Amino acid sequence: MEFLKIDNVVKKYGDATVIGGVGLTAREGEFVVFVGPSGCGKSTLLRLIAGLDEVSDGRIHIDGIDVTEVPPAARGVAMVFQSYALYPHMNVRQNMSFGLKMLDTPADEIQRRVAEAARILKLEHLLERRPKELSGGQRQRVAIGRAIVRKPRLFLFDEPLSNLDAELRGEMRVEIARLHQDLGVTMVYVTHDQVEAMTLADRIVVLRGGHVEQIGTPAELYDHPVNTFVAGFIGSPKMNFLSVTVASVEGTVVRVASPSLAGGSATLDLAHPVVARSGDALSLGLRPEHLVPDGPGAVRLATVLDYVENLGGQSLLYTRAAGGEAAICLLQGRHQAARHEAIALCADAAHAYLFDGDGHAL
Amino acid sequence: MNPRQLRRAVHLLFLAAFLLFTLFPFFWMVASSLKDQTDLLASPPVWAFTPTFVHYAEIWQDDEVSGAIINSLIVASSTTLLAVLLGTPAAYSLARFQFRGKKDLWFWFISNRMISPIVLALPVYLLAQRAGLLDTHLVLILIYLSFCLPIVVWICTDQFRSIPGDIEQAARLDNANHWDIFWRIYLPLGLPGIAVSAIFSFIFSWNELLYALVLTRSDARTAPVIATSYMSGYELPWGKIMATGTVIVLPVTFFALLVSRHMVRGLTMGASK
Repeated sequence: MEFLKIDNVVKKYGDATVIGGVGLTAREGEFVVFVGPSGCGKSTLLRLIAGLDEVSDGRIHIDGIDVTEVPPAARGVAMVFQSYALYPHMNVRQNMSFGLKMLDTPADEIQRRVAEAARILKLEHLLERRPKELSGGQRQRVAIGRAIVRKPRLFLFDEPLSNLDAELRGEMRVEIARLHQDLGVTMVYVTHDQVEAMTLADRIVVLRGGHVEQIGTPAELYDHPVNTFVAGFIGSPKMNFLSVTVASVEGTVVRVASPSLAGGSATLDLAHPVVARSGDALSLGLRPEHLVPDGPGAVRLATVLDYVENLGGQSLLYTRAAGGEAAICLLQGRHQAARHEAIALCADAAHAYLFDGDGHAL
Repeated sequence: MNPRQLRRAVHLLFLAAFLLFTLFPFFWMVASSLKDQTDLLASPPVWAFTPTFVHYAEIWQDDEVSGAIINSLIVASSTTLLAVLLGTPAAYSLARFQFRGKKDLWFWFISNRMISPIVLALPVYLLAQRAGLLDTHLVLILIYLSFCLPIVVWICTDQFRSIPGDIEQAARLDNANHWDIFWRIYLPLGLPGIAVSAIFSFIFSWNELLYALVLTRSDARTAPVIATSYMSGYELPWGKIMATGTVIVLPVTFFALLVSRHMVRGLTMGASK
């Protein structure tokens, strides 16, 4: 069932349009992640859902009720801020119970809920401490605890992990995923980190310049990006793009030519009719993890090795194709190679993406 | 002596000179209040003397002095209380809300401090006379409030602006209304600024001489007026003047020490990233 519905929402600050008509829905219990680069409007959209900012146009529905004009506290949402936004003069217990107190919840009920949240988040021994006496990870857990005790119908997370170090970020990511499973509540999560998006989301909303670029499951976005922006944003390291020209089209099969391709061309079967004509300029997208040096595959890039980054279990090969474009290849294990060594990077045709001159997928 | 030691020595030398400059008058006042008339007027000054409390006994028996100190206490604490009571909500509004004329209002608060007090002394006197408020506590409280309110608004607005906006928004999501946010979040977090502005207000109202001199005659005379009132006639009772001065300085010193903890404590530390 559709739990959160954002209907053609627009947000303007003066003449500047920050959100330009966004529409999307989330089912009950779904984990939706808004992802996009800085300034794409993802945090603004979250604040509009929370009611912290007013929409300029459009409607927002939560559980079938139009909440567009409803004040934040009455929307049944709880938000975890990037900065934690804990009350510095209150201890952990007071921080978590403040919202319940404001709702005139009976004292014994407050105590029960705070104790339960503290147990879930392993904060029992920290209840009497002030925020400044806590580590970054502990503060973030208190911020989540403050949200949990109110038993919200919708959780909003605004880049909650971006102030934590890499190790803690990984731990907290798992905790948030577990929390979502345990509570079964709808969650909307904003991040610029595509790894967080891919690992946490049931569905991802990719935003750019205040518009939705694509909505889909992590696998859909990875396998079938609608344009070069999504293709480049989802996946790490990002997809390689090479300029190619259409040599011929026959039904679902297209032959593309480029000086970067070994033999000057490659034949791809896109499994659907191709809307392109001979001579069209396209982008050929290849993910670094799909490239194999001197492997099988219909697409062969003629490259020269720039340098190798050994990451321990994996290696990153930074190469330069014959056409001048940079191409990165991600390999399992270690790769020994000399600089300027010629390498043919090969990919299966099924793993090749074609985008038209405007960046749309063919 | 290496350059670091030299820098430290110069630093300490300047500090000592500054302390001497600021503290010597206080030392002289306290020392003089404990000398008898002969030691007081001795030239060159007497550094080693037997302390006497005769001047303190004298002002203790003088009802005018105790009355004036009580007047000062009433006027300074009422002014401070009212300035904080009225100034903090004003500062909260200026710090957090957008409204028409906000900039003008802000400038008005600041520009109040640009006017030289003497310029207004005569008009204020005439107004107070018409209103029948001469020689009352109320007239001093009102006029001091007009000086102290801008200080409170000025300092507290700045203090409130430094509180991260996320904290206010978290409180809004926690069902707190503007009053709750002001009372439960901004006031406790703004304590350092409120304390500083309260100290300034209290010290200003306690020490103010010009308006107290112009607007009071007998009933509402404050401590500084009494201290200067001895400087008339044929004799200058330095001992009594210095003892009164010492007694006047004590409450503000005590008050400043009491709230100085808040001035240095960064309450918002650790709240946000």
